[in-house]
Amino acid sequence: MKSASSRFSPALLAAVPVFVFLVVPTLIVVPMAFNQSRYITFPPAHFSLDAVSGFLSDPAWTSAVAASLQAAGIAVGLAVLLGGSAAVALHGRRFPGRNLLTGVILAPMIVPAIVLALAFYQFFTSLGLVGTILPIGLAHAVVATPYAFLTVRASLSGLNPALVRSARSLGAGWLSVARFVYLPVIRPGLVAGALFAFSVSIDETVIALFLQSPSATTLPVKMFTDIQYNLTPKIAVSSAMLVTAATLGLLVQVSFMLRRRSNARMLPLTSAAADQTG
Amino acid sequence: MPLATAVPAPAAGATTRRRTLRFRKGWLLLLAPCALFDAVFFLTPLGRLVASSLHDQAYQRVLQDPLVIRSLVNTLEISALSTLATIVLGYLLAVVIWRRGPLMRVILFALVLLPFWTGVLVKNFAWAVLLQDNGMVNSALQGLGITDHPLALLHNRFAVVVGMVHYLLPYAVFPIFAALAAIDNRLELAARSLGAGELSVFRRVILPLTAPGVSAAGLLVFIISTGFFITPVVLGGPGDMMIANQIGFYALQLTDFAGASALALLLTAMVSVLVAVYQRILRAGGAHEVG
Repeated sequence: MKSASSRFSPALLAAVPVFVFLVVPTLIVVPMAFNQSRYITFPPAHFSLDAVSGFLSDPAWTSAVAASLQAAGIAVGLAVLLGGSAAVALHGRRFPGRNLLTGVILAPMIVPAIVLALAFYQFFTSLGLVGTILPIGLAHAVVATPYAFLTVRASLSGLNPALVRSARSLGAGWLSVARFVYLPVIRPGLVAGALFAFSVSIDETVIALFLQSPSATTLPVKMFTDIQYNLTPKIAVSSAMLVTAATLGLLVQVSFMLRRRSNARMLPLTSAAADQTG
Repeated sequence: MPLATAVPAPAAGATTRRRTLRFRKGWLLLLAPCALFDAVFFLTPLGRLVASSLHDQAYQRVLQDPLVIRSLVNTLEISALSTLATIVLGYLLAVVIWRRGPLMRVILFALVLLPFWTGVLVKNFAWAVLLQDNGMVNSALQGLGITDHPLALLHNRFAVVVGMVHYLLPYAVFPIFAALAAIDNRLELAARSLGAGELSVFRRVILPLTAPGVSAAGLLVFIISTGFFITPVVLGGPGDMMIANQIGFYALQLTDFAGASALALLLTAMVSVLVAVYQRILRAGGAHEVG
């Protein structure tokens, strides 16, 4: 390995600034949350908790956090339930229309967020549902379901469908099959799916922007609205919160990678995930 | 259940058949919630979108709007530029990660994944702070004596491309890494033993073998680029609006939902064609299919 790594040392030298480019913007928002001045600069002049306490005592921001958590709760619950059950149902089964069905389940990943936002806006307005957090949660569930489907499907890839059949022929009822065959196998997929679903929902901005109302403004929407006027310490506080959540997600994913380094099934997901909320 | 073995053969066959039947019904019940949910909350809204685009000659109208043409040109220019930069930088990162040992790989992957897990607004906010007139980048440039006055780095196309490349890099690193990892390392050894130097191994062995992976990554990155909405607003200027922003403008400012829907479907059609090409490349390259 030594010779292999030293061979590309010019590449390594060139890559260091790119790694810095990747990581630094995400990391600087945390110290910025403890800035004293009214306007944001980096590095912060003095350490202070003013921005944090200002954030916590501002109902506009705390209700945005609450709205985001509610939407994420709906999205995670539905995505894990729907995506997970669909992945189990399709496991090891061939039937006409299977690819089409899989395509429909995965399609929300590749439809641009702005297109979904417009479609959801017209749909939920006609149902008279806009004005509550429910349509945002449902819309996020649509976007998050493919992630849970993919992670559960990936965790099932090691399970031979014949095992299920033999368990049943040995007299196991569907409840036992679910508990003793499927659940242990798909548990990591469910955890990863829930994590992805939470991350998708908590960061999603475009759909939530279209479906927002005074009583249902999520954290990213509030940030997006404010950021266009001023770069304020309160935006830094919410950014720091989101970075903390992102780091937790990242740590779980890294622990997955370390646990089964050979079987990096969670990695292809990243390349397939084309959620377009940029 | 051991008694079942004593049951005469025809009866056992009947039980099995009934069981299989029940099992079939069971998996349909498991599939139904997801299928139903997608039918109601995904396909129906898209259907309504198609229906609303068919009003008021929306397609003809939007395609004659110079602002739409402008945003389409912007989208192609910004996406092409971002994709190019992302692929070059992504290739560099993928090669460096590929050349490391297993543990170092995980650490470097974690660095690539940190921005992947971070929301777009957090990233855009950070870039706005870094690139503003009295931001860290300008201070550094002035400190190094490269410029004596703050450069306008924010609210222009440069900032949009920086923000987009930062967002897109993970999407390039992973497929390119997969393509590199699939190379049989005996090929490289063979090339070396035949006297190939550093550069020619890269140019004549590694680069050609990863070309399908690179074009797939490029297409994926381009597809994602075309849908950007937040970044052009936060980091760009008035002249950097992309097609997604134009859709938002039609819907929210003009409340012209027929026009907005028509534009949205044009974008969807473009993305679908690119996705089809993407999957064809992946299949030809033998790599993972999307999903």
